[in-house]
Amino acid sequence: MLTPAELVWLMAAVAKGDQAAFERLYAATRAKLYGVALRILRRADLADEVMQETYLKIWHNAGTFDPKLASPITWMVAIARNRSLDLIRKKGETSIEDEPAAMEAAGEEQNPLARREMTEQLRRLLICLGQLEEDRRRMVLLAYYSGWSRDQLAAKFDAPANTIKTWLRRSLLEIRECLGS
Amino acid sequence: MTMDEEHEGIAAEYALGTLDADERAQADAMLLVDPEFAAEVARWERRLGELNVLVAPVEPPAPVWEKIRAGVAEAAPAEPMRLPEVSAPAVAAGPGEPSAEIIDLTQRMRRWRGLTVMSGALAACLVGIVVAREYRPDVLPADWRPKQQMVEKVVEKPVEVVREVVREVPAAQPAQYVAVFQKDEQSPSFVMSVDIEKRTVTVRQVAAERFADKTYQLWIATQPGAAPQSLGVLGGDDFTVRAALTSYEPAVINNATFGISLEPLGGSPTGQPTSPAIHAKLLQVTPR
Repeated sequence: MLTPAELVWLMAAVAKGDQAAFERLYAATRAKLYGVALRILRRADLADEVMQETYLKIWHNAGTFDPKLASPITWMVAIARNRSLDLIRKKGETSIEDEPAAMEAAGEEQNPLARREMTEQLRRLLICLGQLEEDRRRMVLLAYYSGWSRDQLAAKFDAPANTIKTWLRRSLLEIRECLGS
Repeated sequence: MTMDEEHEGIAAEYALGTLDADERAQADAMLLVDPEFAAEVARWERRLGELNVLVAPVEPPAPVWEKIRAGVAEAAPAEPMRLPEVSAPAVAAGPGEPSAEIIDLTQRMRRWRGLTVMSGALAACLVGIVVAREYRPDVLPADWRPKQQMVEKVVEKPVEVVREVVREVPAAQPAQYVAVFQKDEQSPSFVMSVDIEKRTVTVRQVAAERFADKTYQLWIATQPGAAPQSLGVLGGDDFTVRAALTSYEPAVINNATFGISLEPLGGSPTGQPTSPAIHAKLLQVTPR
């Protein structure tokens, strides 16, 4: 992965219609975005579809990216996640998969890879997640990483969907307060 | 921050990903017309987005890039479309960073105030353009200088565009329709979305003033000049969801005019609007 500064430079070039820069941007970010999409969609054909939509959107919208507001990879991941979530919700798939391994990184032991790549912002976010009750934290992470809906979480945690909604929102508010932003 | 708890909750859950398909469609409509909501979503995407660092990378198959490259080549040269009185680069703004785009659109709407078109049509047209840009920005005309009488075309074109895209998307799902109610051109008062299949309406109160002793009531006029029929009183919450359209055929709903009027608590005593209503018609925002 390139540094954030390099990615910002590539984004600016892509915004001007530089196809070579776009190819470099793709090479630098494809595995992360594919990992994100695949984790939510659990099907390679759907993840392929989302990748195409996502990168075409990045190509067209690179000019709207503002490095003051987000890092390039966060901006790109948000597009890939939203595309994946739209697709999985429309498909109405309700299969419950294994919990994401990455959630272990929250609060407790971080794996070495994560620690190496960890930004200050991520460190703070993980501290805040670590302050949530364990079930609440698992809900947030299952939703973020695996794209679980309230209904899926309700089945998993054996609680009504409305209760899940209340818990999720309370957890998110606690995260926001903890982050102080 | 002036958003209430419900808005914030929906924005946060949108970014987290826990909304269902209907709620996401509703939130997508709000992203298009409500800059404050869009900014809130963007803030949440930044807060939670750092978690992506912990996602293990997976190499996508090589053909994925071939398809993306072909898509880009097809779209290139990606000439920005042009809208009235605005320079091209500003218009190239896309929905990637919602807050910025919506603010941009709002500013453009103000510039358009001189056009003598119904404000509802104007908003619908804006939504249509954004939808087209969302799905296929490349198909929009490169040099687009609408005159006043072109507004009808502007509204129709994106809908065709969306239908064209549908053929490439395998998943069939009900189309979403949205209507934007505006008192003036500056900000929408209400955003309504309709699920034609379930015949439900969801109304979100955006910038409409709130009164302790009055209530808003939703109306439908199935034909021009026909007496409006009540679809019920809107709740005090920002969101009101109703299975209010069960007795209307989809084609009728599609062509109807909707109105919202201010009424005494409990609704109009006469069965007809007792104050001037603001009107809007439906616009299709997702493929059928």
